[in-house]
Amino acid sequence: MKRGILAALLLLCGMGTALAAAPAAPLDAFKGQKGVIDIAGGTAHIPVMKEAARQIMEANPAVRITVAGGGSGVGVQKVGEGIVQIGNTGRALKPAEVEKYGLVSFPFAIDGVAVAVNPGNRVEGLTKAQIKDIFSGKIANWKEVGGADAPISLYVREDGSGTRETFEERALDKGASAAAANVVNSNGAMKTAISQDPNAVGYVGIGHLDKSIKGVSVDGMAPSQENAASGQYTVTRLLYMNTKGEPQGITRGFVDYIFTPAGQEIVSKAGYIPYVKK
Amino acid sequence: MRRGALVQMCMRWLLRACAVIPCAAVLFLLGFLTVKGAPQLGSHLLFGDVPPLDALLGRRPVWDGLWPACAGTLYLVGLTMALALFPGVGCGLYLAEFAPARQAGRIRLAMDVLAGTPSIVMGLFGFTLILFLRHSVWPGANTSLLLSACCLALLVLPVIVTTTCEALEAVPDSLRLTGAALGFTRRQLARRVLLPAAGPGIWGGVLLATGRAAEDTAVIMLTGVVANAGLPGGLADKFEALPFSIYYTAAQYQNTDELLRGFGAALVLLLLSSALLFCARRMEKRFRQRWQGVA
Amino acid sequence: MSKNRATSALQGGSAAALPPAGLQTADHTDSPGLALRLSVWVAVLAVVLLFAMVVMAALPAIRLPGPGGPLDWVWQPTQGRFGILPMCVGSLALAAVALLLGWPLAVGLSCWLLTEESPALQPLVRFTESLVRFMTTVPTVVYGFAAVFLLTPFARALLGGTGMCLAAAGVMLVLLILPTMTLILMAGLRPRFERLCPWGLAMGFSRFDLVRLFVLPRSGRNLASAAVLGFGRAVGDTLIPLMLAGNATHVPGGLAESMRSLTAHMALVTANEVGGAAYNSLFVAGLVLLAVNTAASLALRRLVSRKNETTATSQHEASA
Repeated sequence: MKRGILAALLLLCGMGTALAAAPAAPLDAFKGQKGVIDIAGGTAHIPVMKEAARQIMEANPAVRITVAGGGSGVGVQKVGEGIVQIGNTGRALKPAEVEKYGLVSFPFAIDGVAVAVNPGNRVEGLTKAQIKDIFSGKIANWKEVGGADAPISLYVREDGSGTRETFEERALDKGASAAAANVVNSNGAMKTAISQDPNAVGYVGIGHLDKSIKGVSVDGMAPSQENAASGQYTVTRLLYMNTKGEPQGITRGFVDYIFTPAGQEIVSKAGYIPYVKK
Repeated sequence: MRRGALVQMCMRWLLRACAVIPCAAVLFLLGFLTVKGAPQLGSHLLFGDVPPLDALLGRRPVWDGLWPACAGTLYLVGLTMALALFPGVGCGLYLAEFAPARQAGRIRLAMDVLAGTPSIVMGLFGFTLILFLRHSVWPGANTSLLLSACCLALLVLPVIVTTTCEALEAVPDSLRLTGAALGFTRRQLARRVLLPAAGPGIWGGVLLATGRAAEDTAVIMLTGVVANAGLPGGLADKFEALPFSIYYTAAQYQNTDELLRGFGAALVLLLLSSALLFCARRMEKRFRQRWQGVA
Repeated sequence: MSKNRATSALQGGSAAALPPAGLQTADHTDSPGLALRLSVWVAVLAVVLLFAMVVMAALPAIRLPGPGGPLDWVWQPTQGRFGILPMCVGSLALAAVALLLGWPLAVGLSCWLLTEESPALQPLVRFTESLVRFMTTVPTVVYGFAAVFLLTPFARALLGGTGMCLAAAGVMLVLLILPTMTLILMAGLRPRFERLCPWGLAMGFSRFDLVRLFVLPRSGRNLASAAVLGFGRAVGDTLIPLMLAGNATHVPGGLAESMRSLTAHMALVTANEVGGAAYNSLFVAGLVLLAVNTAASLALRRLVSRKNETTATSQHEASA
């Protein structure tokens, strides 16, 4: 069965442009298949996972794909314990994790982590030192960094978050966040919180920036996916899909689907830059 | 005005304020919800862009609608009541008719304590159970629909036991005495006379328990509900549920569509709970009227 | 129809309810039978299992106070600190706020329902009673959802900060526990009040005076049981603190500060499990909650049973 799928995929890739015009072609891998794929982990991945699941399930309703969040820590644990088939992380796996669980990583997108404020906030850029002081609680009022005279509302992510780890490592230089900060559970929740609170500041994946929140530049580096890809914006991370050992069956099909042109289009539409491992 | 009368008037207005403030707050909140949610009610809320028949028969998955969450809640509540009904009514019957006094006291204590435990501790129990099973006898154990139903059944058990017991106690003693005089054994009496007589009271309790199971979020959060799972696939699968979808939408809605769907979902859940309570109270009233005046 | 079946069975000794003569059936005895015993065992064993699992999971995790164990004042998993004491304080503070605001309101509301004399307001009295009963059925998640969009901007404007704070969660908890407390109070105060009404009113007391002078002072136990019930519900609720209190991991310094309750902590840690040591805090938090609520249930039982004793003795004395 696995050889059949591999053969089908090779055939499809070999057919090239003619079939690439029909968007359903990569989904032929799922024809006649049935089963369940449980996906959990990083919340930045959710838009991509949901859209891919939607397309696959519309083409073949016998395949069931469930998508849950929970953060990168949850992704690693659940896929390691075998509770889910694909665990998403917004950070590279630690050597201890790879050793303990035997996980295989598939990076599929480049994302940056931007410092975000409410669109009504007139602050456009911050230095790294200011960001460190804001998040540790030392700077408590917006007027100290060039904004209005209002107290800063701090929002951080929960403990297992890959976004948080990337941010604390790259932007805070391994500093810690204040204990008085509000804790939200996902990128989506961070976006909702910042867009509703005029004095909010937090961090969110660049793919989630839109009209409702505004990214500020860090040390002069503007947060955009192009800058993240080219290296001009340094607070970046790759988005990974992880499986326990090499993926089999429809899980393999799903992982491969993300790397097909249709999958890469889903990734771009979600606001990330597709990443192809060289 | 005399001082006493002045004091009386102040107290009177203070009491009126005590009544008006919370009632106005609740009416304001619920009115806001209704105003924002009522325009959403309709087949678009439930099924999104998929034609209703296809969605109901499971031919096409529903992505922008509440139907998976509603179906998940229906399955969950059905399974919960299937698990809790027999132990609940049986225990209540035993308590009311057969238990010696000390045993009855101990069972009532257990039920009182169970009724007082927070729902999140119930969810923790389920979660701990799964962890324990994974590390000992059953490595494939996972949080699922069955686990959630078991924990919810435990949560609503005291409600069923207490209402069954009260309903049976409210059945007049004359039935028991006459039955004993006619030669019924206790078991015959319980099964063929008392249970049917207490029927509406017991049904009222079952409906209350159903309402409680439908609205509970904390238990299912820890034992297997996820934000996106499609229609429930089986007992060992993850599932969606209406209360969790509402919580998820409040925390992280991404666009106005999702927000409006959240309002619709909140209104649907509110209407469901109210309908169940209304039916429960009607049954209870019918039960009391039936035995009113009978010694 | 079943009423007719039951009564006809008793009246005519008809065979409708009794099994046909000569057919031995299972219910021809006085003992409860296997099915009933089994259901009782299932119910009781489930309760025992619940306690056993929570205690067994939590005991190995409780360690002496200090960094690394749950009895610590800092929660920073990346640095190995798993203390849940700030969350305990948060839960207590939240319950205290809800009770301080809610209990007087409940007493006032029940007094008003009993003592309102103006005839124009009588329909309002009946409506309010039905509304209070209706409020007990509103799911907590619906309260939380509506509050996120209505109360949070209001709290932000009034108190500053983010709007997700102790005050917001406290106010919504008041709305949650108020109906239950009011119903308990009404169930306790109303019988006494209605017994006193004919004579008291004939002697010229106002309804309010009757409640103030004769009913309330002797209803200490009823008032206490309402308070205990409200406290239990406020400590045990999960959704409202989770959605409205901000979930910061420090001890709240004031009403406008973000805080995390034990229940919200449990929900968040399970959703974002980071590993074994964080789980320990989860189990200990569960044990604390279970202990607090069990103590509240037992206290409630004591209060209610003693109250039943006193009313029984007073009735006995009245009839003697």
